[in-house]
Amino acid sequence: MIDRVTNMFNIVANGGHGSVWTVLFIGFLFGAIIMYSRLDKFEKMAGFMIFEDTLVPRMAMTTVALSSLGFYFLVQNGYATFAIKPILLGGLITGAIIFGIGLVILGKCPSAFFVSVSEGRVDAFVGVLGGMLGGAVFTLLYPWIKEFMGPNLGNLQVTQFFTEHSLLVVLIFSTILLVTAYFLPTLEYKDPADFKEK
Amino acid sequence: MPKQIPWWIGGISMSLLFFFSFSTFGADRPIGASTGMAYLSTLLFGLNADSYIYTAEIEKSGAWEGVMLIGVFFGGLFMSIFVTKSFHISYIPTLWKERKNSSIKSRMIWSFIAGFLLVFGARLAGGCNAGHILSGGSQLAISGIIFAIIALGTGVITGRFFYKKKVCKNDR
Repeated sequence: MIDRVTNMFNIVANGGHGSVWTVLFIGFLFGAIIMYSRLDKFEKMAGFMIFEDTLVPRMAMTTVALSSLGFYFLVQNGYATFAIKPILLGGLITGAIIFGIGLVILGKCPSAFFVSVSEGRVDAFVGVLGGMLGGAVFTLLYPWIKEFMGPNLGNLQVTQFFTEHSLLVVLIFSTILLVTAYFLPTLEYKDPADFKEK
Repeated sequence: MPKQIPWWIGGISMSLLFFFSFSTFGADRPIGASTGMAYLSTLLFGLNADSYIYTAEIEKSGAWEGVMLIGVFFGGLFMSIFVTKSFHISYIPTLWKERKNSSIKSRMIWSFIAGFLLVFGARLAGGCNAGHILSGGSQLAISGIIFAIIALGTGVITGRFFYKKKVCKNDR
């Protein structure tokens, strides 16, 4: 196992996607932002899907709205390349359904549960263990599952259908998200556990 | 220091981080987490790339995300100890107590099952909230948009059956 951990760092070091320190730094900031905005809390993520809190959709929409514009200009100017995931329709739909069920019950996503563990949440740690088993079972069953994941509809982007007006499409997409985020009602579940006197 | 930032500061700082990671100034790739999770599980269970095709397929991006997840853990730890000062051992979220039950056993069993479904589902779909919804959505990827609608829709429907009805309180 130690070999493989060393190997993991070597792959990153030689992978051409930033040095190990850059990647750790990106992760550190990602975790810090998740923690500081309290995105990792059950009350925020599950709370959003049972209509108790609107932090998650508002923050996610703001992120996507600004990033879609930024990404567009970065790619246009040659500072980045798009990395589009394929539409493997069967896998995408069944996977999304299974993921959605897990998401509302655990109340955190596969990076936020690490953040929750770092805050001392034992239930999140148990979720990570479940996730470890989930990843291993998927790896074992993959040769068989692979057969049912298609059809592959390609790595499509909305903008590819409007090549002449792709900037306009990005602008409309971004504006709709920002406006929706702004006008969503403020629901906030105030967790009494956060306001305890220590 | 405030103990929490509002949604719009969170959104802006997150998108700045995304610019950095996505551009050639940073890592030249978008952020994702669930491939890393699967990769770490192949480390833990000793499923080597030589014998398992999935490990071989995800090795490169899995290793990147695995290292990133180590950073995520320490980022959260740093904030919870020094800034939000919210580090303490806890077993059941408050809202779970309100809408489900107060049994530690029940929360742990469900957490394990849900964690399993979360990673298994994310691997089947090829991404999770980070990879499909945030990074995919930011690139206007159709796969990400389909994933967002189905996953969140299923979540809302499941939530309706899984949890008790909202308790009406006068102070809310």
